[in-house]
Amino acid sequence: MSDVLFSTHAVTKRYGGLTAVSKVSLELHPGELVGLIGPNGAGKTTLFNLITGADTVSEGTVTFRGEDVTELKDYERAGLGMARTFQNIRLWPDMSALDNVQTVYQGPRGNNGFGAILRLPGFKRSERRIRDDSMKLLERMDLAEHADMRSVDLPYGEQRKLEICRALALEPKLLLLDEPAAGMNPTEKTDLMHTVEQLRQEFDLTILVIEHDMKFVMGICERIYVLDHGEEIAHGKPDEIKQDPKVIEAYLGGAE
Amino acid sequence: MTLASFLPLAIELGPQGFWWMNVLFLVAIYSLLGLSLNLINGYARMFSLGHHGFWAMGAYGAAWFTIQFHGHMPGVPLFLMSCVFAMGVAAVGGLLIGLPCLRLRGDYLAIATLGFGEIVRIAIQNSPREALGGSLGLEVPRVIMDVTRKTKADFRVLMVAIGFVLVALTAWAIRNYIRSARGRAMLAVAQDETAAGLLGINPVRSKVLAFVAASAVAGLAGAVYAHYQGIITPLEFNFMEMVKIFLIVVLGGLGSISGCVFAAFLLIFVEQWLAKLPADAGFFKDWWQVEYAAILVLLMIFRPRGIFGPREITDVWRDLKAKWAKKRSAA
Repeated sequence: MSDVLFSTHAVTKRYGGLTAVSKVSLELHPGELVGLIGPNGAGKTTLFNLITGADTVSEGTVTFRGEDVTELKDYERAGLGMARTFQNIRLWPDMSALDNVQTVYQGPRGNNGFGAILRLPGFKRSERRIRDDSMKLLERMDLAEHADMRSVDLPYGEQRKLEICRALALEPKLLLLDEPAAGMNPTEKTDLMHTVEQLRQEFDLTILVIEHDMKFVMGICERIYVLDHGEEIAHGKPDEIKQDPKVIEAYLGGAE
Repeated sequence: MTLASFLPLAIELGPQGFWWMNVLFLVAIYSLLGLSLNLINGYARMFSLGHHGFWAMGAYGAAWFTIQFHGHMPGVPLFLMSCVFAMGVAAVGGLLIGLPCLRLRGDYLAIATLGFGEIVRIAIQNSPREALGGSLGLEVPRVIMDVTRKTKADFRVLMVAIGFVLVALTAWAIRNYIRSARGRAMLAVAQDETAAGLLGINPVRSKVLAFVAASAVAGLAGAVYAHYQGIITPLEFNFMEMVKIFLIVVLGGLGSISGCVFAAFLLIFVEQWLAKLPADAGFFKDWWQVEYAAILVLLMIFRPRGIFGPREITDVWRDLKAKWAKKRSAA
């Protein structure tokens, strides 16, 4: 557990007078599955945005694979192997499920515009490989039968799964899941829970997950960070978190 | 159809033939302009209103180049090189306007590009007479006449052929580009830029590429147009032309290649036919300026996504065939 894959050091985000995230420090080791919880408005998604570069930090640093990535753009961080899903689904609506996955494959194995226009053999080979790899991923997530459907026409639960699928196409080291089980029924949630655990093994991932469903978080996370009002109020193993008075107060309100 | 089979046709039709050749040539030019604008407004879902500026840059670039090197080299290479030069000029223009402006979204980009298009025209209009001809325009040496038998009919047929070869090449290139990793990245940025960035796609690069490529094609259309016309004046590249190009793209269906060519034919044919009517033709002749506006209004009511929508003519044909087959089996 000595090496660190990813860490934030005292990151802070201020919007005018409002401090959305205040001096939060996280540390993830390779292969860990860590939960990030907290009441609504605690700053969880904002923290995700700071980590992935969707938003800029006011203070603090973000380190990924031994590199300070605080100044890097979102697509540069993604290129280093950081992928995420979204709380409100953000698939590319008019593309097929397959194209949603294929699009992401382009970074590491991109083929250039001239090869594409002239349909050179190298381009065709590259496209075939992208297609095969994408189909494999879709099959892994049981989405192969929907490959040619427009992503916006997929059932809600499948859309959530497709988002994970698309993130995996980036061949990430770190996977950030923003409420992956939101809106799913209990059976789907349990399935997803097992899937996430298996994916970690299969793809050698480190996962940070935001989730409101306590059964989900307590069930699979090894460690949990708790945010409230933008500050880290607790961190530890699931059992410790369950008994932490500060956490209980944050969720249920203090007995004043 | 080969060039040879066109020739007797044009001569046989006489003045009618000239008219048809002229219409077909304009269809080719406006198809090129429509196809390239479709790349920006259709596939990349940006809103540019400056395409007439790139067209003008290409036309004047080619004219200037041809005048400079006229007499120093044979006609065909001069023609080709002036086309390449025109594409380069327009592409550089696209890059210069694209880099700062593509950070703008929606209406703001439209306003910025509209301003650019007008600046190009007004700058040419006020240029010194000996540089770009000012408001009187530039005369383009007839370099490509050498190849034909030096008659106007042959020349027009040749230009129509060149025009449609370029349309076919452009359509093919765009189709291939869209169906590739780079093309998918462009569509992704168009559909959700935030998600695209977070999944490893550089949105600015994708947009600038589309913008520059489209500008280059518009420049090429300008070059061929300049060689065909023989004289170009800045007033030809006014904002009404931009409206026409935009209408072609919307009429054909944003993101439809064949729709674009179809719409170009429809619009140009109607326009030229109305212009040919005698001055006392009455209602149609007097009201032709209302035509564009009326088409737009009707389109928005009956087919808000264009004649073909985002589909191609082949898709439409396949659906129709399936429908007929169903009907026949039912009957």
